[in-house]
Amino acid sequence: MLTLSRLNSYRELEHLRQRLREQRQNITTTVMVCGGTGCRTSNSQAVIEAIRDELSSQGLDDSVRLCVTGCHGFCEQGPVIIIEPGNIFYCHVSPEDAFEIVYQTVMNGEVIERLLYEDTVSGERFKTEAEIPFYKAQDRRILSQNRLVDPCSIEDYIVAGGYSALPRVLNGIAPEEIISEIKSAGLRGRGGGGFPTGRKWAECMDAPSDEKYVICNADEGDPGAYMDRCVLEGNPHLVLEGMMVGARAVGASKGYIYVRNEYPLAVKNSRIAVEQARELGLLGDNILGSSFSFDVEIARGGGAFVCGESTALMASIEGKVGEPRAKDVHTVVDGLYHKPTTLNNVETWANVPAIVLNGSSWFAAKGTKGSKGTKILALTGRIKNTGLVEVAMGTPIREVVFDIGGGAANGNKVKAVQTGGPSGGCLPLDKFDLAVDFDVLAEAGSMIGSGGMVVMDEETCMVDVAKYFLTFLQDESCGKCLPCRVGIDRMLEIITDITEGRGRMEQLDLLEELGDTISQTALCGLGKTAPNPVLSTLRYFRPEYEAHIREKRCPAGVCKALITYRIDPDKCNGCGVCLRNCAYGAITGGKKEVHVIDTQLCQKCGICRSECKFDAVQVV
Amino acid sequence: MLQYVNLNIDGATVRAPRGTSVLDAAIEYGICIPHLCHVPNLSDIGACRLCIVEHVVNGRSEVTTSCTLNVEEGMVIRTNTEKIRRLRRNLAELLVAQAPNSRAIQDIALRCGVKEVRYPFRNEDCVLCGRCVRVCTEIWQARAIGFVGRGKNRHVDFPFGIRPDFCKQCGNCIQICPMTIPPCDGPMKPGEEYLCGKCESQLMDEIPGSCAWCKLGEGFGCGRYVGVT
Repeated sequence: MLTLSRLNSYRELEHLRQRLREQRQNITTTVMVCGGTGCRTSNSQAVIEAIRDELSSQGLDDSVRLCVTGCHGFCEQGPVIIIEPGNIFYCHVSPEDAFEIVYQTVMNGEVIERLLYEDTVSGERFKTEAEIPFYKAQDRRILSQNRLVDPCSIEDYIVAGGYSALPRVLNGIAPEEIISEIKSAGLRGRGGGGFPTGRKWAECMDAPSDEKYVICNADEGDPGAYMDRCVLEGNPHLVLEGMMVGARAVGASKGYIYVRNEYPLAVKNSRIAVEQARELGLLGDNILGSSFSFDVEIARGGGAFVCGESTALMASIEGKVGEPRAKDVHTVVDGLYHKPTTLNNVETWANVPAIVLNGSSWFAAKGTKGSKGTKILALTGRIKNTGLVEVAMGTPIREVVFDIGGGAANGNKVKAVQTGGPSGGCLPLDKFDLAVDFDVLAEAGSMIGSGGMVVMDEETCMVDVAKYFLTFLQDESCGKCLPCRVGIDRMLEIITDITEGRGRMEQLDLLEELGDTISQTALCGLGKTAPNPVLSTLRYFRPEYEAHIREKRCPAGVCKALITYRIDPDKCNGCGVCLRNCAYGAITGGKKEVHVIDTQLCQKCGICRSECKFDAVQVV
Repeated sequence: MLQYVNLNIDGATVRAPRGTSVLDAAIEYGICIPHLCHVPNLSDIGACRLCIVEHVVNGRSEVTTSCTLNVEEGMVIRTNTEKIRRLRRNLAELLVAQAPNSRAIQDIALRCGVKEVRYPFRNEDCVLCGRCVRVCTEIWQARAIGFVGRGKNRHVDFPFGIRPDFCKQCGNCIQICPMTIPPCDGPMKPGEEYLCGKCESQLMDEIPGSCAWCKLGEGFGCGRYVGVT
């Protein structure tokens, strides 16, 4: 093992990279097991242990490297293993498979057929990662680096070519040049707003102050979104390097990674990364022998959604209540501790090193006129291939949902996609040709947001979706300003009336007017975008609202007050499964007789419907 | 030395020292912008949002609260456009539906042109304007009360719900509270709230010496304006 000591110059860093690469020359095979949060829930920890034991009992410790990596993206298929060379992709691996994997694939180069990914439509099995349709249609600039490095090992990151952008900005490129490079790359904030990063940096650089800060916003709280978590826990050094470049550009000497405490692995990995970087002298005073000094601290958030808003986040770091304040003076001038502060999202920082290394034209080659580069999306909901997807900006939603996501699970028809979390909106199927692009989606009443993409099928009621997001926002609103606190509450009141059959047609106009008022007058970004779920569903799914009000009917069969369960006498064969499973004793019927649901007792939980094998239970 | 800047509010050129808010500058010139959470000499938090104005920058207008916006040279502000009146009326409607049992709030609703309330009334005792919290914190340096909870659960309370020794019971928090004066017809019973529409301003913090009898005041039925005609 090499001992790592403080690096005092660029030359020493390159020398270390060289020595590490030489040391790894005798490694013939690399087994990359996903240790991201998604795969951990599918027991990847036990798989890792089993493979490690197996490798050492076969005496392969020196020639085979077991790399516990961050998220590979295909969370639906976890735990996921990739074996190089050969790019062999195994999914749904269990600890019992460890012997076979080591003996057959690692030692003898044979492929284990049953662990390969099987396409659900064609039934075809794919041997390598590159062939799988889910990966094939993507453009993985950031996520592809995840599987190369162990997030707890700075050596891995250096071997993979990391920390190459840092020396470049320390010697040679002036801060103005870095910023003009970022500007001409067209990088826009990945956190939701899509503000041009270069402009933000330039304003911060121009703000006069003896002290400046950079902050990495990893307080990701949208329901169904987890790309920032996976980047930070899978490749923390990449984010750190981006922050160093940013700090150099704007002239900051201190940085914070604000990460929510609900992401324990991201907290742990980023802490380890910061310590390792400090040990090597990549953080601290006089980095790589230059005059640039910079250090990073991890600030843990308590999990308030509103703390993802920049001013609330800064208040939280300062130890105050996480509440936004008016931003009439921008945070790039008056931010953390009233000093100029540059705050960017995890994914934005992760994009920075590659721009410095490869140039702005390389970055801007992908994407559309207004939105450059790639975007990571978290594909969730009623979709076949749940996971993290990275596509070039400008890719149509249709391609993301159908080609990569594989369409709706269990054969249903896709109805809509919700983009951008609680601040975004729902887009119907006929808008699926719209591109993933900041301006296009904003024009359609939605937004990219941080990149959550929740797919909905026919069994989703859009009024119920709006109600869900309003309930979430009502809980997460800080309560400081009137339109957000009371306005959302009133919207929820109206929507609840509609879902319970008390709605009136004129309330729809009131919803629109109230939504417009909130979006124009609320204090912070959370409040300003809070009505989006309601406004966008009203815009595209008005007939559903009208059905709830006029006909007192929920077309999707979701709103409990408007539906009743009944058993179709023609289909029921009296098996009694529904009767045994009903928790409320609402079903009666003897053996081989048609069963009947007592609507007085029925609580509409839907268990009978999901248990019935003959599709006899219907929602009317 | 005070540095003065010139700005344009509703077409009038207004001169104000650097560092004052647009709201203060406007009030100084007798241009009424309705407000609830703003109190002279206390910090502004922009909670009630009633003092919204249009800030015109490069031809694009941006809705923002005038209490948190500081004056700048050449600034263009519109306080009484169709859009602002509509938004302000909607905000006042939300406010009065939340707490109709206050003369001050009924008055604000009247001034902002609320004719009917489209939401079921609630009879809440506090609208979270934060006047009491700020007067306790900033004027008396006591910090005996503060905001507790988030969102719907947000309320004003003592630390841990117990009155601390450093609360001197000065009563300033009560004096400054907009909820203490009941409507003219007396307190409303829960379930019987209504929009009274009779009150005159109880909330005018200080009558500016240089009242310009602005058109805005006419729109709000400003007492001084009505008195002239």
